[in-house]
Amino acid sequence: MMPLLRSELRKVTTTKVLFFLTLAVVLFTALNVFLLVYLTPRAMGVENNDELLTNPEYVTNILGAAGSSSIFVLILGIVAMTGEFRHMTITSTLLVTPRRSRVLIAKGITFLAIGAVIGLIAFATAITLATLTLAGKSHAPIDTGVALQILGGVVLGFAIYAFVGVAVGALIRNQVAAVVGALIWVLIVEALLTVFVDWIGKWLPGGALDAVLQATNVSGRGGNEVLSVGAGAAVLIGYAVILGAIASTTTMRRDIT
Amino acid sequence: MRHRYCSTMPTIGQALTVEHLSKRFGKVHAVQDLSFSVEPGRVTGFLGPNGSGKTTTLRCMLGLVRPTGGAARIGGHVYRDLDHPGMIVGAALEASGFHPGRTARGHLRVISDALGLPKSRADEVLELVGLADSAGRKAGGFSLGMRQRLSLAAALVGDPGILILDEPANGLDPEGIAWLRGLLRGLAREGKTVLVSSHVLSEVQQTVDDVVIISRGSLVQAGTLAELAGNGAVRVRVRTPRREALITALQVTSDGSPPTGLDPTGPDEILVTGLTPSDIGRRAFLAGVELHELAQQTNDLESLFLELTATGTPGGTA
Repeated sequence: MMPLLRSELRKVTTTKVLFFLTLAVVLFTALNVFLLVYLTPRAMGVENNDELLTNPEYVTNILGAAGSSSIFVLILGIVAMTGEFRHMTITSTLLVTPRRSRVLIAKGITFLAIGAVIGLIAFATAITLATLTLAGKSHAPIDTGVALQILGGVVLGFAIYAFVGVAVGALIRNQVAAVVGALIWVLIVEALLTVFVDWIGKWLPGGALDAVLQATNVSGRGGNEVLSVGAGAAVLIGYAVILGAIASTTTMRRDIT
Repeated sequence: MRHRYCSTMPTIGQALTVEHLSKRFGKVHAVQDLSFSVEPGRVTGFLGPNGSGKTTTLRCMLGLVRPTGGAARIGGHVYRDLDHPGMIVGAALEASGFHPGRTARGHLRVISDALGLPKSRADEVLELVGLADSAGRKAGGFSLGMRQRLSLAAALVGDPGILILDEPANGLDPEGIAWLRGLLRGLAREGKTVLVSSHVLSEVQQTVDDVVIISRGSLVQAGTLAELAGNGAVRVRVRTPRREALITALQVTSDGSPPTGLDPTGPDEILVTGLTPSDIGRRAFLAGVELHELAQQTNDLESLFLELTATGTPGGTA
């Protein structure tokens, strides 16, 4: 398995998609920190920023911006898997490793690791910018315990979400269809389902991710019930494993022509 | 487990066997009950018109396409049961399997990593196929000829004993084709098994020892190139002012077997099949018939190939 993992990692480091999507994560995280520190208080009609910033929960939310860019990590996993079919590199991949489920597992593990690293980068971006922008303002202190909790959540959540992306890509081999389908699911279908069917939200992938990220307010699901971190992680891994298993017995078995 | 690459001893090839292989795509029978074998130490040409099922057969051999019947084996095993297939079989299937944004070296390192080989192996094979100067360039900007060379390099990464190349001469200039010929001959001399597909016999005629010819998914002929050439009987064009006298003279059986064919192709011309020019000359001389021309028709393998494979419209996929 080690040579296979090294090969999968090489695939990612020899193209630009990882760089650009990580850049997108950094920029989107930065944007959210700025919004929470500068704009949201004004939009909320709070005369003095300090009223919000002295609220410890609000400061926690600013750090939680690290989890706001999860969609890019999902897309990274999808693009990596569907790219094999789009560019027909799947042929040379399967010539070396004819057992297709091994390829899927190796890519899944690789993107778990890559997702974790991007989560770390997102958190580093959030805490650095939060510290810089809050300096000089009167604000509630950044609680180290809470910060570590958010760090753990973002690293774990992004890792599993990238893995989910790989599984989605294996099931929907057309790159455009898979990316657009995932966006529609996350931004529209799941949001609507959550609104109309109360109990279902926490069991859907996005709801499970929110549980892991512990940042329900950031993703606009404020007030919705979420699972515990552990249960959320288990549900999210469950989605990846089930999608991957379905792909292994259907789309991944197809003839490569 | 990491396996070691040994550059001093050439890897010896194993035989490839195709046994009653069939593949149907929906209603299309791409390959039908196809059987043949490919021996190590020789270059075998896998020939057939476009759409005759060559690529499908090769993809079945490599575990990429699941046969609907029969099997293709490599040294007795189906591809997916091989322990380290990339070290046993190297295949170049088409010139399009590259990520356009990945460099030539990057593409090969993805493969050498998966095979557990050192990073330096990528540059070695790039050198071997004449792409060393383009190692850092992106495959997306490569010409068809360069992509063919990169495909070939990818097939060679694991120094496999068996090479399966689909239309490797496509897009190569004459110099490139000559270079490819030398490379393939050299690999066969080392004892490797080399299978090369083509839809043009003349392209591989000077490279191959054996030929497997298919048409519409079925075997037409398998054997050595010499056997194939022997199948086409010698034809001689003869011009004489005394056509009828010559025909009579050639039909005399007292000094040898009669010709297998005598086609008058003009008032003073006959096409003779089954006799050599010297046979004809001698008989004409003995009969006192004047000859104006005695020309052996070149034994044209390409037209023989076209005859063998011309069985209506192709029924398979490319």
